[in-house]
Amino acid sequence: MTVRALVSALNGVLLGKEPQIRLALACLLARGHLLIEDLPGMGKTLLSHALARVLGLRFQRIQFTSDLLPGDVIGSSVFDRETGAFRFVEGPLFAEVILADEINRATPKTQSALLEAMEEHQVTADGVTRRLPEPFFVIATQNPVTQTGTFPLPESQLDRFLMRIELGYPDPDAERELLRGGDRRAALERLEPVVDAAGLAALQAAVEQVRVADPLIDYVQRLVGYSRRGGQFAFGLSPRGALALLKAARAWALLSERTHVVPEDVQAVLPGVVEHRLREAADYAGHGGGALAQQLLAGVDVVG
Amino acid sequence: MGAEGIAAVAPHAPARDGARRGRGIAYQIPRNSLALLMVAQVAVVLPFLLHLAPWLIAVCLFCCCWRYGVYQGRWDYPSRLLKALVVVAAVAGVALSNVPGFSLEAAASLLNLAFALKLIEMKNRRDAYVVIFLGYFLIATLFLFDQSMLQAGYQLFAIVVVTAAMVGMNQLATRVRPFSNLRLAGALILQALPLTVVVFLFFPRLAPLWSVPLPNASVTGLREEMTPGDVAELGRSDALAFRAVFTGAPPAPRELYWRALVYSRFDSGTWSVGPDPGAAAGPDFDRDETTARSYEVLLEPTFARWLVALETPLPESPGIVLTRDWRLQAPDPVLAVYRYRARAYSGAVPEPDLVRPMRARETALPAEDNPRIRAFAVALREATPDTRAFVDALLTHIRSEPYFYTLNPPVLPREHSIDRFWFETRRGFCTHYAGAVVFMLRAVGVPARLVGGYQGGEVNPITGHVVVRQYDAHAWVEYWQPGAGWIRVDPTGAVAPARIEQGLRAALSAEDRASLPVLGGVRLRESGMVRGLLDWVDSLDHRWNLWVVGYDGQLQADVLKRLLGEVTPLRIGIAVATGGALSGAVVALILFWRRRPPSRHPVERMFAGFCARMARLGWARRPDEPPGSYLDRVAAAAGQSADARARTIARLNGLLYNPAAPGGRAELRQLRGELRRLQFRLAFGPSSGVPG
Repeated sequence: MTVRALVSALNGVLLGKEPQIRLALACLLARGHLLIEDLPGMGKTLLSHALARVLGLRFQRIQFTSDLLPGDVIGSSVFDRETGAFRFVEGPLFAEVILADEINRATPKTQSALLEAMEEHQVTADGVTRRLPEPFFVIATQNPVTQTGTFPLPESQLDRFLMRIELGYPDPDAERELLRGGDRRAALERLEPVVDAAGLAALQAAVEQVRVADPLIDYVQRLVGYSRRGGQFAFGLSPRGALALLKAARAWALLSERTHVVPEDVQAVLPGVVEHRLREAADYAGHGGGALAQQLLAGVDVVG
Repeated sequence: MGAEGIAAVAPHAPARDGARRGRGIAYQIPRNSLALLMVAQVAVVLPFLLHLAPWLIAVCLFCCCWRYGVYQGRWDYPSRLLKALVVVAAVAGVALSNVPGFSLEAAASLLNLAFALKLIEMKNRRDAYVVIFLGYFLIATLFLFDQSMLQAGYQLFAIVVVTAAMVGMNQLATRVRPFSNLRLAGALILQALPLTVVVFLFFPRLAPLWSVPLPNASVTGLREEMTPGDVAELGRSDALAFRAVFTGAPPAPRELYWRALVYSRFDSGTWSVGPDPGAAAGPDFDRDETTARSYEVLLEPTFARWLVALETPLPESPGIVLTRDWRLQAPDPVLAVYRYRARAYSGAVPEPDLVRPMRARETALPAEDNPRIRAFAVALREATPDTRAFVDALLTHIRSEPYFYTLNPPVLPREHSIDRFWFETRRGFCTHYAGAVVFMLRAVGVPARLVGGYQGGEVNPITGHVVVRQYDAHAWVEYWQPGAGWIRVDPTGAVAPARIEQGLRAALSAEDRASLPVLGGVRLRESGMVRGLLDWVDSLDHRWNLWVVGYDGQLQADVLKRLLGEVTPLRIGIAVATGGALSGAVVALILFWRRRPPSRHPVERMFAGFCARMARLGWARRPDEPPGSYLDRVAAAAGQSADARARTIARLNGLLYNPAAPGGRAELRQLRGELRRLQFRLAFGPSSGVPG
């Protein structure tokens, strides 16, 4: 089974992180962009590289820095002396997977250059709109905003990421194996693609075929409603958030080799999907999404 | 808000006014409500059009237009001087218009004017509330003029509009949704209806503390004076006169002679009632109960005291007077639908001996009027000395000579009018013939009188009551014979028998028919869909009169006695409280029903039942626990194998969450069995030997 092969291949690179790997895969199978947030040195970049490789996608890495400009990402027009005309030189954005490393170190101006690309899969430069390749994923990594030299991502951009996951410290066994084993970069080099473009498209199509029953839609609506009415939430989940939740749950069901979604799927993906979309009412600018997601899960009855 | 803002900076607005308006937005009238207020005003004033002078309505509409201009921001409020002028002019207008000074019309006119003028000086919320409450008051006032069902329905609509304006007053200025306001107001009024019914049933009917001045009595109906031709006017009106409900089947229309007024005096071509004969000494006629008919009449307002009754009447409702000329009389003028019961003894001889003053009254004639007919009568009397034969001879004369029955008779002079009719024009209506016969009877010394009232009526096939309209108005003759009392003679039967047998229409010529109003024409037709519809409307209206308008103190006492057994303040209090609680409960039930949870899937219901039973065993599901995980937990606790658990979970999840699963009853039954076994194991322990 393809999905099992994908998971085990990634497990061989990033040790002891199967839940996060599954979430990341679910995100990409649901055609969503992924944001990985954690402290430096936790394997964020490694996971994103590995994802791109096993999915057999052409990827570009952009290292975001505070002096990166939109043109550096999108590309720019260059004067060609031979033809005597301007020629558009495509930037690193024109790839199937973008590894936006340390995305929150770039200025809001540059981050905003990503907005159109992420939602509409197209970029506009010099008044010309150009389609991006299909599929198109952004896997971004970022350090927590409390770290020095970071800009918080605007809500509009955060909302465009289907999921935000955290990796966390490995458990002692996995860490021991990590310490014992060889270079992880070398392991990455040896990683072979598990699916090709057609295989990935088939998997994505299969996600869309996963069925959702009415009682489950009721559950999602209760979750969304709770986030909108509950006093501890600064604002509720948007319809896009609800759609994202359902999409991710479908992909999770597919990873669990099921053709229909059960509430467990929703609960599994819910923290990843909603944490970055929620703010605590008491701490509007803060980052308390994690606790809120748990409240949401605990506060809503699964069965009407 | 635009309008208020512009008004505030208008150069000629008084400074104090501006300062007052400057108190802030909180005192302004929301625009939404302002629009509704204007609609409400039109809705409230419109029905008064039927009862008040047209120029008042014009003033109201003018104010409305002015206010609309202000609303649009094009005009300013009128200046103080102009307002004062308008008020003076309006009051003067009411004083100069031909309504009596202290009448209901005058009061209602002033109220309407105040209501309209308030509109053009309405600036802040307080003013708007004044207009709203004045609106409610005006709606109540209109019932003094008209209490019909149509009117009540319309007023209900007006109440909804006024209430919607009040709802708008309490909304944010940014919410401009007049239709949702109307809906909310409608819902509020609907919720109030059950309570209205309770209060209607139980609220004591107080005797009026003061008398309401009479509305102008310019209504069609019988009058105490009658010049031949008057009844012809009535004949063109299809307005309702009264309805009668008989105990048992109603008699045939030709037997129904509803006596209302007795005209005993004749002077210069006009018959009049003459001085009041006073009340009868008592019902001293011999009453034969086997032929007596009991009936109830709902008389439309007549603004007079006379009531209609079949001969010979005996009143059953309290307060009604039996007069010496055997009519019924109400204690007060009939201003609203008046309801009374009476009995009719058709075979009775109430007055076998005529006392001298009555004889003088019923034989008096002016000395010199109509000499030719006098001579004619005396000559005929000499040929036929017997009074009955004399009357028959008169009727035969009418039948055999070329006399015609018509609604459009030639105009007669005041002097010698009967001579002129009898010998020259020979065209007339019931009054002409009856008047001539009475005159001739008196001329030969027989006591006789002209009786005015209604003859016939239609039976409504739906409720079985008799409807009598103004075109059924009629006049006939009564003459007195010693021992036989008063004998009724209807000369119209001689000239137009169809009028008595089949009603007015049969007796009319094509020319007469053309002069009738449209609906009247339709009513006189025998059948057809429109006729059926009119019958239906009439039956509705009748029930309305019977149960709503006619619900007076008497009827209330009856109803309360039937409801409560014994009428004590405590019982009434309990009944009102119960009714109030019940009507509140109706509203609560509706709210509860609208908030009910959506209907559930059978699998969900089954699982919910399972969860409830398990909770009683101490294995409650946490709310956030998905069904599959929960089942796994309890099944593991019951000691089921992982495989069995997985199968059950897959079945449950499939039924609950997989719309494409084969499912069906068999699967559901299977799952139910598995859950039962699981429950059993948890209740009695895995060692109880139940397979699972």
